[in-house]
Amino acid sequence: MKVRDLAVETWSALDANRGRSALTVLGIVIGISAVIAMTALIGGINKALVGELGLSQAQLVYITVNTGKPLTYDDVDKMSQNLTDYDYMVATSMGSGEATTGTKKASANITGVKPAYFKAMATKFVQGRAFTDAEEGKGSLVVILDKNSVKTLFGDADAEVVGKTITLNNNEYSIVGVTESSGEMYAGADSVSLLMPFSTAATRVVGNQEVGTIMGFAHEGSNMESVVKKTKDYIAATYNIPESEREENMYVYSMQSMIDQVNATMGAFSLLMSAVAGVSLLVGGIGIMNMMLTNVTERIREIGLRKALGARRSDITRQFMLESVLLCVSGGLFGVLLGYLGALFLAVIAGGALMGESTRITPVVDLSTVLMATGICVFIGVLFGWYPARRAARLDPVESLHYQ
Amino acid sequence: MAKVLDVINVHRIYESAAGYTHALRGVSLQVSRGEFLCVMGPSGSGKSTLMNILGGLDRPTSGTYKLEGLDVSELTDDELAELRASRLGFVFQSFNLLPRATVMRNVQLPLVYCDVPRSERVERAVKALHAVGLPPDYYDHRSNELSGGQMQRVAIARALVNDPALILADEPTGNLDSATSEMVMETFSKLRARGKTIVLITHDPEVCEWADRTVHIRDGKLLTDEEEHALHASERGNT
Ligand SMILES: Nc1ncnc2c1ncn2[C@@H]1O[C@H](COP(=O)(O)OP(=O)(O)OP(=O)(O)O)[C@@H](O)[C@H]1O
Ligand SMILES: [Mg+2]
Repeated sequence: MKVRDLAVETWSALDANRGRSALTVLGIVIGISAVIAMTALIGGINKALVGELGLSQAQLVYITVNTGKPLTYDDVDKMSQNLTDYDYMVATSMGSGEATTGTKKASANITGVKPAYFKAMATKFVQGRAFTDAEEGKGSLVVILDKNSVKTLFGDADAEVVGKTITLNNNEYSIVGVTESSGEMYAGADSVSLLMPFSTAATRVVGNQEVGTIMGFAHEGSNMESVVKKTKDYIAATYNIPESEREENMYVYSMQSMIDQVNATMGAFSLLMSAVAGVSLLVGGIGIMNMMLTNVTERIREIGLRKALGARRSDITRQFMLESVLLCVSGGLFGVLLGYLGALFLAVIAGGALMGESTRITPVVDLSTVLMATGICVFIGVLFGWYPARRAARLDPVESLHYQ
Repeated sequence: MAKVLDVINVHRIYESAAGYTHALRGVSLQVSRGEFLCVMGPSGSGKSTLMNILGGLDRPTSGTYKLEGLDVSELTDDELAELRASRLGFVFQSFNLLPRATVMRNVQLPLVYCDVPRSERVERAVKALHAVGLPPDYYDHRSNELSGGQMQRVAIARALVNDPALILADEPTGNLDSATSEMVMETFSKLRARGKTIVLITHDPEVCEWADRTVHIRDGKLLTDEEEHALHASERGNT
């Protein structure tokens, strides 16, 4: 029996039972849509995370220390000499203010950074450039914005703004560059993020030479947990922070732990969805088997006839097997569609809750996921179609022909 | 003339919960190429049992059966299937057409199992349908839209389409009224005229008048020539 004949026979059999087939594959549809929704959503969240942070930022550690005496740039130098796990340690100076352009106004989070920051963060510029050492040395009035801030201040994220100026606390700053993203996860929708040279921020915005948050970039492949622990131990020892005050006066945390936290949430979620998927696929598979058994019983005479006309056992097995596989696969493909729509819906809910308002999650369904879903369906079709098909193939032709 | 069928001392014993049924008790039978043979007997005499064995759907408990010189009793299940696909055509009492499928598809069904290329199938089906005299208007009708006589002619076309060495018919007129039966028998007779070999099983003596030769079966045995003569004599005596 040729493949094409097999397909024609199978199709006409499925076509004859359309309503029943559709109901039977419901379990498969639900199971596959759960799998797809889950992988699409996790894929989307991972992509949003990576897009927001950049992969290299897994090595990033934020350090804030609260001692009686504020840290200065010298403390940062010493720290980076003692903590050898870091490639760079960048001091920042944090402040805020109100940024205005000709027409627009927004509250600004201002971060003063040394030029090394851009290299360490592997910042992507969409326009312009990073600060120069000269600008840092002179404390020049220059700023760098991210795309979102450009949108807030100029109305269009792609506006050409290099060379334009922003007014900040009565000083005019000229824009030298625009970055893809600010790297801040919880950027508010109505505020803007500005970077300026450390020295500029220290003198013009913060008003002193104190160091705010220190950003450390550990070597690639470092065990972030132990890096964080060593950092904490060093700071506690250097600034005499007693065990009991560690929690409140010392804030050391790695981006990795943030990512881990999201991953753990995702893990719990995918476990739940896997359970839902597993149960519906099992129930769906049993439903398929039940329907195929009914099919075989209803078509005993047809099977007898086919045998009388020369069908071998393997022809009958293949015909019924293909029927159950096709049934499952069509249910699966429908499930892919439904799952993607489900993920779109969940993305709206989860996007706000998990990642902050400004982050959009776009569910990701790639070809390999669809192939995997199809593979699962073929497997279920074969697994649960095997017994009914075997029953059909083993029917005695004489008895089947006279079955009433 | 070459023998198409050569059955030697075939027995068939059914085993069931109720015990053994000796359905065939040493049947020997030869059929030549182009012959139209009628096997006649009362209900329960073993006609269908014989037909199933001749058709390679069942195996004899003992004895040998050769189809065109090939010993069928030796074949495996798959070889039997291939034999049915390529050398045998069946016509059943209850037609056994696929109800939702068109006439064309029903007639082409056997060709699926003997790997005839698609391009040849329609041509062969049309030829077979032409041979049984079904008007072309009906070719695209679903089989359950046809009358009993039309259905049986479609079934005969289906039996014919793979150009078999032997056409086996089990009570082909059993579900038809006498006028329709006559039409179906005319169809068989036309096939006979084209040189087809036919074995037809019936309990209707009128049907046997279309055949070249009739053998009688009683309690799983064919009547001998003397018994046949005695039977004819008694039939003549009765009328
Ligand atoms: N599968 C079976 N198992 C047991 N006994 C059977 C089986 N098939 C037929 N028989 C018995 O074998 C005998 C011959 O049956 P068969 O069907 O060949 O008769 P028949 O001549 O075709 O009768 P009818 O004209 O009613 O169709 C009967 O006694 C029947 O009960
Ligand atoms: Mg019978």
